[in-house]
Amino acid sequence: MPKPSDLLQGTLDLLILKTLARGPLHGWGISKRIQQLSDDELSVGQGSLYPALYRLENQGWIVAQWKESEQGRSAKVYSLTRDGRQQLERELATWKRLSSAVGLLLKRA
Amino acid sequence: MTLARFLRIARQRFTAIVRRGAVERDIDRELAWHLEQSILEKIADGASEEDARREAHREFGVLALVTERSRDARGVTTINGFVDDVRYALRLLRRTPAFTAIAGLALAAGIGTTAAAAAVVSFVLARPLPFPDGDRLITIRTDAVEPALFARAASVHQYRAWQARSASLAAVGASRGGSHVIAAEPGAPPLRVQGQAFTPSLFALLGVRPEAGRLFEEDDHPFGPRALVVVISHRLWQRRYGGAPGTIGRRIRVDSVAREIVGILPADFHLQADNIDVWIPLILAPAGEHGPAQDTPQLRVTARLRPGATLAAARADLEAIAADLHPERAAPRLDISPLRRTLYGWTRPRLATLGAMSTLLLALSCANVAALLLARGTLRRRELAMRAALGASRRRIVRQLLTESLVLGLAAAVPAVLVTAFGLPAVSAALGPPPGLFRLTVVPFDVAVLATVAALCVLSSIAFGVVPAIAGSRVHPIDALHGGTARSASGRSWRGGLVALQIALADVLLVAGALLTASYVNVSGRELNFEPRGLLTFSYAVRADEFIRPMPQRQGSSVFEVSPDAARTFETLSDRLKQLPGSRGVAGISFPPVNSLVLPMVTVQPLDATRDSLGAPTAAAYFIVTPEVFATLQTPILHGREFDARDGRDAPWTIVVNEAMARLCWPGGNPVGRRVRLDLGDGERPREIIGVVATMPARLDEPAAQPAVYTSYLQQPRYYRGPAVGMFAGMTFLMRPKGDADVLLAAARRAAAEVSPERPIDEVGAVQSHLYARLAERRNYVTAVDTFALLAALLAIVGLHGVATHVVVGRANEFAVRRALGARRREILALVALPSLWLVAAGLVMGAAIALPAARLLAPQLWGVAPTDIPTYVGASATLLGAAAIGCAAPMRRALRCDPTARLRAE
Repeated sequence: MPKPSDLLQGTLDLLILKTLARGPLHGWGISKRIQQLSDDELSVGQGSLYPALYRLENQGWIVAQWKESEQGRSAKVYSLTRDGRQQLERELATWKRLSSAVGLLLKRA
Repeated sequence: MTLARFLRIARQRFTAIVRRGAVERDIDRELAWHLEQSILEKIADGASEEDARREAHREFGVLALVTERSRDARGVTTINGFVDDVRYALRLLRRTPAFTAIAGLALAAGIGTTAAAAAVVSFVLARPLPFPDGDRLITIRTDAVEPALFARAASVHQYRAWQARSASLAAVGASRGGSHVIAAEPGAPPLRVQGQAFTPSLFALLGVRPEAGRLFEEDDHPFGPRALVVVISHRLWQRRYGGAPGTIGRRIRVDSVAREIVGILPADFHLQADNIDVWIPLILAPAGEHGPAQDTPQLRVTARLRPGATLAAARADLEAIAADLHPERAAPRLDISPLRRTLYGWTRPRLATLGAMSTLLLALSCANVAALLLARGTLRRRELAMRAALGASRRRIVRQLLTESLVLGLAAAVPAVLVTAFGLPAVSAALGPPPGLFRLTVVPFDVAVLATVAALCVLSSIAFGVVPAIAGSRVHPIDALHGGTARSASGRSWRGGLVALQIALADVLLVAGALLTASYVNVSGRELNFEPRGLLTFSYAVRADEFIRPMPQRQGSSVFEVSPDAARTFETLSDRLKQLPGSRGVAGISFPPVNSLVLPMVTVQPLDATRDSLGAPTAAAYFIVTPEVFATLQTPILHGREFDARDGRDAPWTIVVNEAMARLCWPGGNPVGRRVRLDLGDGERPREIIGVVATMPARLDEPAAQPAVYTSYLQQPRYYRGPAVGMFAGMTFLMRPKGDADVLLAAARRAAAEVSPERPIDEVGAVQSHLYARLAERRNYVTAVDTFALLAALLAIVGLHGVATHVVVGRANEFAVRRALGARRREILALVALPSLWLVAAGLVMGAAIALPAARLLAPQLWGVAPTDIPTYVGASATLLGAAAIGCAAPMRRALRCDPTARLRAE
């Protein structure tokens, strides 16, 4: 049951889920990767990232686990659940519909 | 949502509630790690450590804000809000101790009594029976009504047929109980104990395990030595053998037969009666054997249903088998009931009443607290409006108010548990089992009861909290600016309705209490027509099979031959007792004159048809007595004389009738000298009426005066048709002592031992205490009911008082102004009294409307008072009106004290 969310929040959820689809990652890594993959166009503030992560965790779409990192320090690593994968597909579909609709509107208006 | 996902989410939420600190630390640690990573990255990019740190913090934002939002997302803050609400509610309760005390006690009364009644109900309905898989056990009763001692019993024939042919029973067992068994050892005084004969299969199907030794085995053959065994109770083992381990294997004499003790039953074993001390094998004739004894109803049958078999199917099955045995007779009807109903069915009327009353009391206390909360809500209007003004949503305010109710409800749990602890034994005691069944003194106060209290606390918190919460949340922020006590109209009408509801419920409970109390007073103050005070009693039983022989059935009813030795045994004892120096009078009667379990009935046929006689046969209770029984009882003799030495074996047969009988058969006339015939059996002769005695109630709680006839034990036929034969199993002796009762009883004991060392006297005591034993349970019941009713009245009046006070406080300014403008005291008083009077009147009308149908349900429990008894209803209303006047007195005085100048200064 996704909660009704505004466009920005929904987008952030989509970005996080998509990022985690490539493999488990900690919070800092998620924000870095979003930044890298968007060629530094998108930057996610910590104030948005962590509440979003916890919300997704509460929804049961991602799970968190404390794990040893490469440097031998423990970090909290998030990974996608099966429900999360389904949610990602739903959100992708929604996003595609929405963006094409917006594209059409911008073209015709 | 998949189940796995649901469970995961539930776990996370639960963790957030229970391990709040851990979750918060987890968040802090993660954010700190993130910050550190940023710093490390910037240093790696070549920034100085100081710059890196500053830059990272700038990017990160205000740490506290991020932390707060993160906590929000993890559901921690909602919990914090709840904790804050609870803290605030506790502070509020402490600040208003009077309110807290009244509300808490009101709730405790309702919750405690309801929990106690619920605990007994669940014990009766749901607690597993003390037998494995006990809900498949059933008892099988027939429509046989004779012989009296074995009413509704089954015959050996029927039992054997069911055992062999039933498809619905997994196992079937039989017992024969109620007979007295004498266990005596050489050298030791004889001991009268209650015994039961059990088939080996009965122990097996009940799943009983002995505490020591073994139970009966199927090969305990009637003629083998293994039949001469006995199993004893834990109680007898302790009392007589001091719990010695060598008891198994000892031999004791039971009814003159030496038997070996082979087993000891656990202390908590009881099937129906809880006073049984010895069990002997019930050895039935082999299946092929047919004789009159096999056709006589004498067995209590208990069985275990096959898995899947229903009661209805079992009944059809067993009835068909029984009908098949005697195609020439009317098919017997069977009463198949679960063992649970046989054991506990008798609790139903009183338990239902107590449960209903406690539930009404709980409803009343919830209404009471709801009204109090509404009143307090109007005083708190400013505070709530301030909260609304500061941004609290309506939902948030409702949540806060509901939390306060919950805290109040849970605070009431402590006194409620106390009320339950006292209420549980009171409710059990009020039920009062019929004789022969065990008491419910074993309803335990356990975790389940505590859980019930807790659940009731939460449920009532919601019940009394919802209306005040909704009314309280209807505030406008602007109210925060208004001074004084602005009031909401909806709250006021709710409050009035709640007060009227309380009065109505209290009225119902008062009416019920008054009706039951009147019944108790009527029963206990009933004219007995004998003097129980100082009258001693004991029973003297003989073994039925010593003197009674079953004969072939005649016209569908059992016939028994009674040996004349039975009468001789009683005669010998009676003569010995008469010679005791400490006695003013001794007599025997076949059944105690009042409160006998079963009374044999006889048909009386008047022989002299006259103008004023009905001439129709009349059924009457049948008593066999010794001479001077009415003198000993001090029963008034209205006409003629009673039995004396003239009514011997060889004299013409005589009879004494009671007044009810005389009125019925010979209205307006004196029947002395007339002759009647009884349908006792062969050898019965016409009897002449020699006297009429006042009617003694056959049962204390039976309203109608029952016709009864009395004959001498020396003038009895040799053959009895079934119904009347049970009386020769024993005689109840009555004695009036001259001096010390104990000395006389000791002498009577010795006399009985001299007559026969193996037949001690039993059930020794004062007649009055026997009477009171039955009345005590009724009194316990009435006490419980009256306690409910009085609590209800008290709560209703406290509720009325609270609302009246609130009206006065709310309208103090108005009263002051009216006074200043010259209103008279009477007019001010009317302003307070009239609305309250209306509420009470509305409540009483509503109460009477509920009480009338409710009292009709109570009718079977009433004695000598109609459920529509007008004085009771008027009395209950008057009581509540009077109490309401007292409840309103203080607020009225307060209204008169509203001093204009003082009010002005306060503003």
